[in-house]
Amino acid sequence: MSALKQVESEYIRLKEDTEFDRRLNELRSRYIGRPTPLYYAERLTRELGGARIYLKREDLAHTGAHKINNAVGQALLAQAMGKTRVIAETGAGQHGVATATACALLGLECEIFMGAVDAERQRLNCFRMNLLGAKVNVVETGSKTLKDAINEAMRDFAATSEYTHFLLGSVVGPHPYPTMIRDLQSVIGKEARKQILDVEGRLPDALVACVGGGSNAIGLFHPFLQDPVPMHGVEAGGKGIESGMHSASVSAGTPGVLHGARMLLIQDDEGQIHETHSIAAGLDYPGVGPEHSHLATVGRVEYHAINDQEAVEGFHLLSEMEGIVPALESAHAVAFVAKLAQEMDHDQLVIVNLSGRGDKDVEQIARMEGRS
Amino acid sequence: MSRIESVFNSLRERGEAAYIPYVCAGDPDVDFSLKLVEKLCDSGADIIELGMPFSDPIADGILIQGAMNRSLSNGFKRSDLFGMISSLREIGIQQPVVVMSYYNIILNRGVDTFCKDLSEIGGDGVIAVDLPIEESLELDSTCGKWGIDLIGLISPNTPLERVDAILERARGYVYLVAVAGITGPRSSLHESTLRILREVAVRSPVPVALGFGISTPEHARIAVENGAGAVVEGSKLIDIYASNLNDRSSALEEVGEHAQLIKSALRENDL
Repeated sequence: MSALKQVESEYIRLKEDTEFDRRLNELRSRYIGRPTPLYYAERLTRELGGARIYLKREDLAHTGAHKINNAVGQALLAQAMGKTRVIAETGAGQHGVATATACALLGLECEIFMGAVDAERQRLNCFRMNLLGAKVNVVETGSKTLKDAINEAMRDFAATSEYTHFLLGSVVGPHPYPTMIRDLQSVIGKEARKQILDVEGRLPDALVACVGGGSNAIGLFHPFLQDPVPMHGVEAGGKGIESGMHSASVSAGTPGVLHGARMLLIQDDEGQIHETHSIAAGLDYPGVGPEHSHLATVGRVEYHAINDQEAVEGFHLLSEMEGIVPALESAHAVAFVAKLAQEMDHDQLVIVNLSGRGDKDVEQIARMEGRS
Repeated sequence: MSRIESVFNSLRERGEAAYIPYVCAGDPDVDFSLKLVEKLCDSGADIIELGMPFSDPIADGILIQGAMNRSLSNGFKRSDLFGMISSLREIGIQQPVVVMSYYNIILNRGVDTFCKDLSEIGGDGVIAVDLPIEESLELDSTCGKWGIDLIGLISPNTPLERVDAILERARGYVYLVAVAGITGPRSSLHESTLRILREVAVRSPVPVALGFGISTPEHARIAVENGAGAVVEGSKLIDIYASNLNDRSSALEEVGEHAQLIKSALRENDL
């Protein structure tokens, strides 16, 4: 608790610190490559024959996903707290890569926890983390995926918080993480809001983002919450909700407490956390951030499930229509917008958060489709 | 007066500190863990901490993780935990039973129902491992309503003002975590731990139980010398029996002998 209080008080202080703000903004523009483009996907729009589809290109951010927005911010925080070591969990490996990158940038020692199942299916990212000077600890406990990586990182943090910062990657976990990470990711929605107003002169008619823990989605949604804009979070339906092998915490979860947060959870009627499944390692988490749980409960955001097969179709669709290979996580959002756009009018606008690029998934897809 | 309080009162009269073994319920099955509790109670245990296994035990080291895994893979349920406590009372075990659980297990059952059931079958206390005091108002008042002691946790890096807030609400005893980190045997107790123990013991209106890393009579003796009113030991017990589960009776004997050694270290001190 005292380690969390330190993170909270230091974060509150830095939020108001103009030097921190200047440093973060400078890194955003010169290192991460922000603002990322808001790209009008013309061929995809024509193919689907409905609403005009804009892609918020987080895949073009340095390291290839939105995760870097949070990693750089928290690494600066770690440095300000005088911490010399940073640990993080990772599922798809994008957060691990982003954290390793930010640590290399700032000269911090870095260790990443990754479930054994994920380390196997995202080998490329494991190697990238090593290249960046990080140590990857493969976690063999539990379901050997993201939640177990978080368990292990929390166990480490409890013992080492004196000199270690736990750089959590999604809007889950104990306070202040969900709030702090939302703030750091809100740059996505702030830019997108300004960009769509610049290009179209009006707000969009829908926002779409994939949701595992929910950081890219909350980053896009949050700056639009006061606007009359419908929002859709897309969860991983895995092999189908009815199969029980999915990660759709809003669609099929109940309230509970895990990793220090009260949220919607995939659990059995004993309160034990279920093993989850998704083709996308980054969505393979049994909970969804407390703010998403709230937005779902009050009905401000609608949540939907897209299954593995549909996600793979979305992966191919965007690759072939726009020359953009999306991360399998983001492919869930693409697959959903393919349905949604067709139900919308030609003059309506929808923004999809393209949270990451798919290089890391190419090998997995090739293997699945018998092409390697 | 709660049963936990009266145990500490009579120990104080005899000049002893309490031995509180932790047993992971259902490891590897209900039958063995019942016998284990019985053996521990025969070997000097004053209070039993009965651990409810959880799928994601973030505060636990590899030994307790393994125990929880074995228990859950054998289908252990929350109802089995309550069933175990009933069985213990039926065979005449008098020692207070404190349930140690991750909060989701309690919340999922319903805080009120959980505490009511626990109270009705003869349980005495609850430790919610991952519930900070700031979030524990509901559990605290519900425990009060059903006559259950909610045992608070203090870690070595808890600031003093927070220690005081925890002590203000302390019932039965307070659990001082000996090391920053997770459960599991450690070779020695750090001087910094002992300093914190002395500080907490002076401030605390209830006995301080030192746990996490305790595994030898020497640890127990040093803990008491520095103000502990009890020691908690869990992982070491698992370490003793887990490798010997194909010969259960000798596994139980070994645990019993170890428990007696710890308890005698807690008797020798002049409190």
